[in-house]
Amino acid sequence: MHDSSKIDRSQGGMPVKTEVLIIGSGFSGLGMAVALKREGKRDFIVLERASDVGGTWRDNTYPGAACDIQSHLYSYSFRPNPEWSRVYAPQPEILEYLRATARDEGIIPHVRFDETVVDASWDPAESEWRVKTSSGEYRALALVSAAGHLSDPSYPDIAGLASFQGEIFHSARWDHAYEPAGKRIGVIGTGASAIQIVPELARVADHLTVFQRSAPYVIPRRDHVYSPAEKGLFARFPEAAQDLRDELFWGNESRFPQRRQVPAFIEQITELALNHLKNQVPDDALREKLTPSYAIGCKRILLSNDYYPTLMRPNVSLQTTGISHIDPHGVVLKNQERVDLDLLVVATGFEATELPIAQVIHGSDGQSLAANWEAGGQAYACTTVSGFPNFFMMLGPNTGLGAGSMIFMIETQINYIREGIGFIFDNAACIDPCPQAQRDYVESIYRRSAGSVWIEGGCSSWYLHPSSGKLTTLWPDFMSQFRKENGSFSPGGYRVDARVSAEPAGQQALVGQA
Amino acid sequence: MKNVYDGKAAAGGLQVSYYDSDPGNTQAEIIVLLHGTGGSAQNNFWALFPMLAMRHRVIALDFIDPESGCPEADHYVEQADAVIRHVALDKAVHLVGYSFGAVIAALYAARRRSCLASLTLVAGWVKTDTQQKLRNSIWRSLYESGHEALGSFSVLTSFSQAFLNSKNEAEIEGLVRSVETGPDRSRKMEFNKNVDIGDELADIQVPSLVVGCLQDQMVPIRHSRMLFGAIADCRYAEVVSGHGIVHERPSELFTLIDMFVRDPKGMPAGHVVKNSHA
Repeated sequence: MHDSSKIDRSQGGMPVKTEVLIIGSGFSGLGMAVALKREGKRDFIVLERASDVGGTWRDNTYPGAACDIQSHLYSYSFRPNPEWSRVYAPQPEILEYLRATARDEGIIPHVRFDETVVDASWDPAESEWRVKTSSGEYRALALVSAAGHLSDPSYPDIAGLASFQGEIFHSARWDHAYEPAGKRIGVIGTGASAIQIVPELARVADHLTVFQRSAPYVIPRRDHVYSPAEKGLFARFPEAAQDLRDELFWGNESRFPQRRQVPAFIEQITELALNHLKNQVPDDALREKLTPSYAIGCKRILLSNDYYPTLMRPNVSLQTTGISHIDPHGVVLKNQERVDLDLLVVATGFEATELPIAQVIHGSDGQSLAANWEAGGQAYACTTVSGFPNFFMMLGPNTGLGAGSMIFMIETQINYIREGIGFIFDNAACIDPCPQAQRDYVESIYRRSAGSVWIEGGCSSWYLHPSSGKLTTLWPDFMSQFRKENGSFSPGGYRVDARVSAEPAGQQALVGQA
Repeated sequence: MKNVYDGKAAAGGLQVSYYDSDPGNTQAEIIVLLHGTGGSAQNNFWALFPMLAMRHRVIALDFIDPESGCPEADHYVEQADAVIRHVALDKAVHLVGYSFGAVIAALYAARRRSCLASLTLVAGWVKTDTQQKLRNSIWRSLYESGHEALGSFSVLTSFSQAFLNSKNEAEIEGLVRSVETGPDRSRKMEFNKNVDIGDELADIQVPSLVVGCLQDQMVPIRHSRMLFGAIADCRYAEVVSGHGIVHERPSELFTLIDMFVRDPKGMPAGHVVKNSHA
């Protein structure tokens, strides 16, 4: 997509040196790059494993892909877009927005495309990060992982999956060369991706079977196309777009007590979801299958106007028996009935609790982040990790949201990291969160998760770490509290050392400042 | 509300009902909420109460109107006083009044200074003006004639354009119905017609926060700005909301109150809180 042949990769095998390395060019990495670029103080490089920017919005091209958060909120506050076509923009429009951001902000020349990070290790002797990619080596004083938490497809553990002779692909790896029209199609999963895909495939499939493990809560999607007058209003009165953004933000923020299981809030949202189901599905037997068995909010609440009606089409069936195994011709159910298929779509989400990027990042004692996080991901201020100096993690532990725009979390982290990087360079310092400060911080998160629907709601979700049962992916408080706590860098809580290779003149000893 | 205890406090001959999120907790800061004209503890603070209760001990009471005649402010101030003394004993509390409740809270702060740690006035006013009297008289004539438009008139004037536009038909009907089945407003509307507390505001000495609603048609923003002008030790914040801020923007109101009660003097007198944008 981008011509990287003009870019010096690793001059004559020598490592490329830069001040800041960012891994990933999705919403978080790109936003971080824009912040550094606009500040204009630091030299930086963005490593991107694919050949285009956009992260999850580049990868998820399945039919019907769209965002579940309103676009005027799900976009950078520093790059408002008056042209959003509708309340919930479809995926191609969001990807185009990110491409335009990369282009217009001058980020493209900083991105090394088609380079997968295979190892990133802190070198204490040189006080720098050594990052090996699929095609070169980089050295940087600060490393930002912006690899995302919805990046690597997660496949279900079903016996015989690999033996299937038909076509099979994950929703995030859609094969557009495959023609689904007239085919017998199966969709595994009933999460956010699945309920967008199902109505699209049902239109063309000979027969579509939805394999459901647990029914999601679905609420109406209040979407509309923005008129030329509305777009013109947003263009000529940017404050009108900001007012809308604020209204949407506080609307989500006001739903947080649902997750704290506050009855008045639970009643409202449960009623909204169950009324939606009742209004759309008159058939008792089908409605029974579609009625969730866990507390609302325990898993993501989905938005759709066409999912339920699609399930009532004659060419669609909802299968709740449970899958025994898969054989070359299709799915065998637990009652030994079989569903033969031409295409199997795996819409089972992402590796969100155990992030693959954590396997390749190694701290000062050589231990990988994955090993460090064996008992569940944890980070100081949700951003830095003890034993990993001058390292920042975007969308790492406890930054996810049950209801709200991830862009708010991303922008909060961008500011924290920008200031942290400023501190590192202004003081020629290495910063490393004190183990005790990190423990205290993580404890405060666990305290706040107690009593939440994610812990007590009686469902199995990607919000919880599988072996520890701790809430490691979601932020268990108001979003505004996240910004209050983590929106600005402070060296308190950090061990601050002078950089080894720094020029000795003019450097004061910073050790023990924490 | 989950884990909320109710109790009663004697005010003269009246038994005032109140809700307490954490009875007996003497360590926590105590926030006392006073509801507005059309409200009750439940109906005004269904969202704000549990949000504040995540961090503090929260008390909300249900005002009892006098059986006849035009209510005097002291009738309500005494009820607030009875509940505060009953639950807080000698501990100073953070008093939060909304709309009509803000008028009562301001008078309480002026008249019983020693009992308070801070004062927050949300969508309150100093003196009923001509615009308010006009709305009050339309309301009165709809009320007296039992007009079917009474509920929708209240909804129209309670909420901002953006809030109403975000609702569908059934939800608007739900709002109208909740006004129709809500507590009777006539006594408090009578009281609201002739509010004039300007002379007493100078007596407020406790650190105060005024929160005004920019799209408020019942108590337009100028009233909050005047309250801010009148109280010496006062901070000020504006929220993009109609009068029904407790329904429209409970979380934004929560963050303002939470920030203020944690450190009432953290912001200097005269400070205007800058809106944080998403």
